[in-house]
Amino acid sequence: MANYVGMFLGLILASVILIGIVMFVPSLLLPTYIKIIIFIVAMVLDAMAFSSRYYSYLLSPMLKQHKKHLVLSNENPYWVAQSGDTILRKSGEDFIATVYISIPVYRSATEMEEEDKLDFAQQISRLVGLSKDPTRYTTELYVMNKDSYIQQLRETITMTENEEAQLQSNDAPKNELDRVRGKLAMWRNMLDSISKGYSFELSSYITVSATGTKEYEASSLAQQKARELMSGVGSLFGVPPSIITGNDLLRFVEPEYLIPISTVTEQISKNIQEQVI
Amino acid sequence: MDDAKLVLLLFSLIVVMFGFIALPSLGKGLLYDIGLLILLLTAVFILAMNWVDAKLFSTITSIFGITFQPAKDYKINKQQNAVIKEVNGIFYTTGFITANLFSYTFKEEAAPEDDEDKMINAPETWERMVMNINFPFKFHVLASGLDVQNIRDELEGKRSYQEFQLSRAMQNNSSETAITDIRRKMSTIQAKIDRISAGEKPIATLMYIETTAIGVSEKASIDALEGQINQLRLSFSSLDVETTRVIGRELYSLFNFNFSIPTDFKQLANMFDQQS
Repeated sequence: MANYVGMFLGLILASVILIGIVMFVPSLLLPTYIKIIIFIVAMVLDAMAFSSRYYSYLLSPMLKQHKKHLVLSNENPYWVAQSGDTILRKSGEDFIATVYISIPVYRSATEMEEEDKLDFAQQISRLVGLSKDPTRYTTELYVMNKDSYIQQLRETITMTENEEAQLQSNDAPKNELDRVRGKLAMWRNMLDSISKGYSFELSSYITVSATGTKEYEASSLAQQKARELMSGVGSLFGVPPSIITGNDLLRFVEPEYLIPISTVTEQISKNIQEQVI
Repeated sequence: MDDAKLVLLLFSLIVVMFGFIALPSLGKGLLYDIGLLILLLTAVFILAMNWVDAKLFSTITSIFGITFQPAKDYKINKQQNAVIKEVNGIFYTTGFITANLFSYTFKEEAAPEDDEDKMINAPETWERMVMNINFPFKFHVLASGLDVQNIRDELEGKRSYQEFQLSRAMQNNSSETAITDIRRKMSTIQAKIDRISAGEKPIATLMYIETTAIGVSEKASIDALEGQINQLRLSFSSLDVETTRVIGRELYSLFNFNFSIPTDFKQLANMFDQQS
């Protein structure tokens, strides 16, 4: 039975009972101004009952929490399986395992003839029809992770600044000071050009999920579906698709992995500097 | 409208009818008028919820300033059109638009010339479009195989209807254009039936675009998201795509799709019936 059915029946029943009270309880026992309040509540419950078809996930917290910020869940939306190749989440008593498959297709339309282009478009059509189960095909454009490089540059700049300060305090010769200042200018220019704009990467991948009563059951079912899809993709495009593992998985799940943090902060501070200037 | 929704609509309207019967119990005068007004508002609300539930519900949450936490560290704004996550003082806001790129076509159908041209130009148009976008986005195609027998029955029903239309058009001495049009529809349906008979799987697709914007405040990231969504809509117009901003419950479903997708078609079909 669907989740909303219980809520719908409960709300409809409550609404009918309240209307019954309005109809059958004499005005001597229940004044009409109380009856109108009960009547309004009955109608609100009726409207909520119909809304429960799609909004049962919101109505229940609305009724319980009485706050403007409703907490539907306070838990992490997923966890990564120990094997590092599956994302797991709980749905009621069951577990849902999700596997991501990378499609390494590196072809450009600029190097295709008319016929190749038509073939490629038809290959994509066939790819979409590969599986009978719901399967998601995605192309993702994301910002290249230059975090470690930017971090390294920042550390080098700090070290060179320290070197410059030390030389100044030790009354070092001018040519030595100029050399360090030149080095500093070079690293600063480098950081400037690296963080001037984003560099992008384009990836294509397939998502497939499976349900099981145990974690390992869901995982193995999802992996099985993934293997079937991989053989289909392999024969269609002639490329070796692979199951995405570890940190690479997070790029398809978490928004902060789409735009890495150091790249973002560098870009934001740059924008602010430009606005100030 | 699916059967479950129809049953719910019927029951909810029956309760409104009970309300009409109970009205005289409120006496005459102002209370009666208030009761009547409440009844009418409830009926209008239920009927509106039936067709534009996402817009209506998001208007209610906007008016009352209600926000949601769908999972730890995530927030859905009061307009229910964006999912926000704060990481180290940076706000990442994600929005969705549906973009049905093509309806699945059967290759034996005699595709009009311009459709084939579109297919040839599609890879290049796509590449040009991606090169002009300077922010992250994901283009998703969620596909699911359909029940072959159901689709076959449906197609045979459509063919019978077209046959009936054709015989009526011929009896009424309709114009040659009308008869050709019916015959063309019949041959398209027949091609689909033949294709299914040859072992082809019919599929249903749902296509949507997801984009994430950043900002130093919630407002800044939402503003940036609006800009990105407008640019995506403009860019995808070159691919002849109809785009619709996803709000309300469908946004919640698409947010959940980032962590798991539905495992059967029925589940998927129940989630999306209007905006997509």
